[in-house]
Amino acid sequence: MARSVWKGPFVDAHVLKKAEASRDSGRKEVIKIWSRRSTILPQFVGLTFGVYNGKKHIPVLVSEDMIGQKFGEYSPTRTYHGHMADKKAKRK
Amino acid sequence: MTGDTKTGRVCVGAIAGAFGVRGEVRLKSFCANPADIATYGALTTEDGSRSFTVTLTRPVKNGFAARLSGVTGKEAADALRGVRLHADRALLPDLGEDEFYHADLIGLTVLDTGGTALGTVRAVLNHGATDLLEIGGPGLQDTVLLPFTREAVPTVDMAAGRIVADPPDGLFPDRADD
Repeated sequence: MARSVWKGPFVDAHVLKKAEASRDSGRKEVIKIWSRRSTILPQFVGLTFGVYNGKKHIPVLVSEDMIGQKFGEYSPTRTYHGHMADKKAKRK
Repeated sequence: MTGDTKTGRVCVGAIAGAFGVRGEVRLKSFCANPADIATYGALTTEDGSRSFTVTLTRPVKNGFAARLSGVTGKEAADALRGVRLHADRALLPDLGEDEFYHADLIGLTVLDTGGTALGTVRAVLNHGATDLLEIGGPGLQDTVLLPFTREAVPTVDMAAGRIVADPPDGLFPDRADD
């Protein structure tokens, strides 16, 4: 069953606090968080979070199309490198 | 390591064994678009001793059935099981601005804006957000993931084989106080 709309999106309070502090300071930093369950909110766009995957913090630069997803979706807990072949990387 | 950019070749697939009894092989493609494996001209073995022209005949589970030039029977196809196929790097299509092949980025030296070496690029990852450069080096206990953005990586100099990085605070352990 989906989460009731009246409750609003779930975000751990300490994540909000850290994000606000980082935005206010204006420093370019990785905000380390362990809360993989928190929802990505519009005010997080442009910030870089280090989302813990059980071993290390994976940098996640939040963009608009990530709003509404959970942080954990961008920090996989299992490693698969695959093959590079003709795969491309785009600098954003 | 699936490619060797120094020799100008990139591993694009592998032969998984024979398919049927008429000399076709089961081909595993490592390409971003699997069918592209047939578009890179003649593919060579790892040591470069043999070369094959690939014709895909049909998609099968986990790959393609394909005909390789010079392979006519099941025995010959079976003998090629496990062989990795390499394409000439020059045959990969040119990319737009700010697009790079993983094969080109891996191995580049990473320097900070002051010119201090941070390490080398070990891998390029993407977990759904931005691409990430996995950087390893003698001074690092564990690899570091650097977001591949203009802000964090202002310069990519392929000719000089180096990347200039301006990482956010807290990413590299020794630079936390910078």
